Amino acid sequence: MAFLDMSGVSYTYPGWPAVVRQVDWDIAQGEFHCLVGRSGCGKTTLLKLAAGLLQPDEGTVSLQGLPVQKPGPQLGFVFQSPTLLEWLRVLDNVLLPIAIQRQPTPAEVNRAAQLLDLMGLSIYREHYPRQLSGGQQSRVAIARALILEPAILLMDEPFAALDAITREELQDDLLELCRSRKTTVFFVTHDITEAVYLADRVAVMEGGRISKDLLVDLPQPRGNELRYSPKFNEICAQLRHAMDGDRR
Amino acid sequence: MRTSRIYAGALLLVLLLAWELSARVFHLSTLVLPAPSLVLEALWRGLRTGYLWPHIGQTSLELVLGLLLGCVLGFACGVVMGESAFLRRTLMPYVVTSQVIPKLALAPLFIVWFGFGSTPTVVITALICFFPLMENTLTSIQQVDAQRLELFRMLGATRWQTLWRLKIPAGLPGILAGLRVAVVLALVGAVVGEFIGASKGLGALIIATQGMMDTPLMFAVLLLITLLGMALYQITLAVEKWLLKPYVTTN
Repeated sequence: MAFLDMSGVSYTYPGWPAVVRQVDWDIAQGEFHCLVGRSGCGKTTLLKLAAGLLQPDEGTVSLQGLPVQKPGPQLGFVFQSPTLLEWLRVLDNVLLPIAIQRQPTPAEVNRAAQLLDLMGLSIYREHYPRQLSGGQQSRVAIARALILEPAILLMDEPFAALDAITREELQDDLLELCRSRKTTVFFVTHDITEAVYLADRVAVMEGGRISKDLLVDLPQPRGNELRYSPKFNEICAQLRHAMDGDRR
Repeated sequence: MRTSRIYAGALLLVLLLAWELSARVFHLSTLVLPAPSLVLEALWRGLRTGYLWPHIGQTSLELVLGLLLGCVLGFACGVVMGESAFLRRTLMPYVVTSQVIPKLALAPLFIVWFGFGSTPTVVITALICFFPLMENTLTSIQQVDAQRLELFRMLGATRWQTLWRLKIPAGLPGILAGLRVAVVLALVGAVVGEFIGASKGLGALIIATQGMMDTPLMFAVLLLITLLGMALYQITLAVEKWLLKPYVTTN
């Protein structure tokens, strides 16, 4: 059974043409899927539907067999910008999902500290977000999304604003974190190489529909040398071609 | 930065000196424009004999009370109206109307209602402080960016939590800017309030010195009011800087 299952999902913002049309997509547990497409093709809307931030007009979204009716702790979400709260220290930002529900226990504080360790941010624990670089802020946002150990992580172009090198480092860290926790990931991006590097499977979205479903047959774990291998470039070219789609 | 401060200080000295000299050379009447030395003398005498202290205390008290009352109410109304579109639409015309009326023109009415003494002054001061705080709070808490609101929805935050843990802290810079405006206006409210209905306080003292034709003392009182305002403004700035420390990019 699919872990995240979207079937026949459509969504229309009032007064606009449909943004998401009849999308079927499912993700098995522990898989890393990327969703690529041009700006305005409905990627972010589809992700919000998966998160329960929006309710589909038609079709169903279910997680582990249960319909997703509203967002909750089973879902981790990482936004385009880090959306950290600048008045809270880094550690408290990571603990925010817990602090909203109740006072964090010492064990949970430890877990947050460990996550920051994994992200290489242990010395910034007591800093404020504005004292960190963009890449570091993105790492804190990922740690925050993982603190409740969500079954699935939904990410909306989280690295789009970062420079190329920082982005590659974060991609590697993310892959490692998710592999070690067997976290299922649905990752929206407009960067083709990012999608191919990260994903097991890539969905290409165009005009509100999934126009192409591409299996990325590359070895795991992935490392930097892979980025320059012929096979990698071939898949990128394939994906690029798929994105051009009917425009030719 | 440092040199400009030196120049600013030097300019003050030059101006004071010019004032002093012209007062002596042209034999200006002390009733019209007393020399700075006379003003300082009057100030020193007033402070040393203890004559000015009760007035300073009175004005400070009214100022602080009015500021507290006005800011707390303004903040509360800003929050309520920021949260409820219905209340915002219903109450806004009334709030605007109440602000368009020159509040100082209401002073005589407040004396009828609350009697002579500090109450009418506190009420006027509070009324004046109310608006900047309300307006800024109202605007600031509505301007929280959409992604953060979605984050709080994702985390299952209640409306109350979203307000206290997101909207108000995120709006704090704007709210504090409103406070800064309120502080400056509060002094006007307190002093002018005392003009009309008080026998004690720096504003009342200005009226009294006018009656006694003691212009040097009047200047001394004006100097005190200026100092009071500057001190209050600097304190507000310091509080603001301290509270907003995490909001400033230091990288």
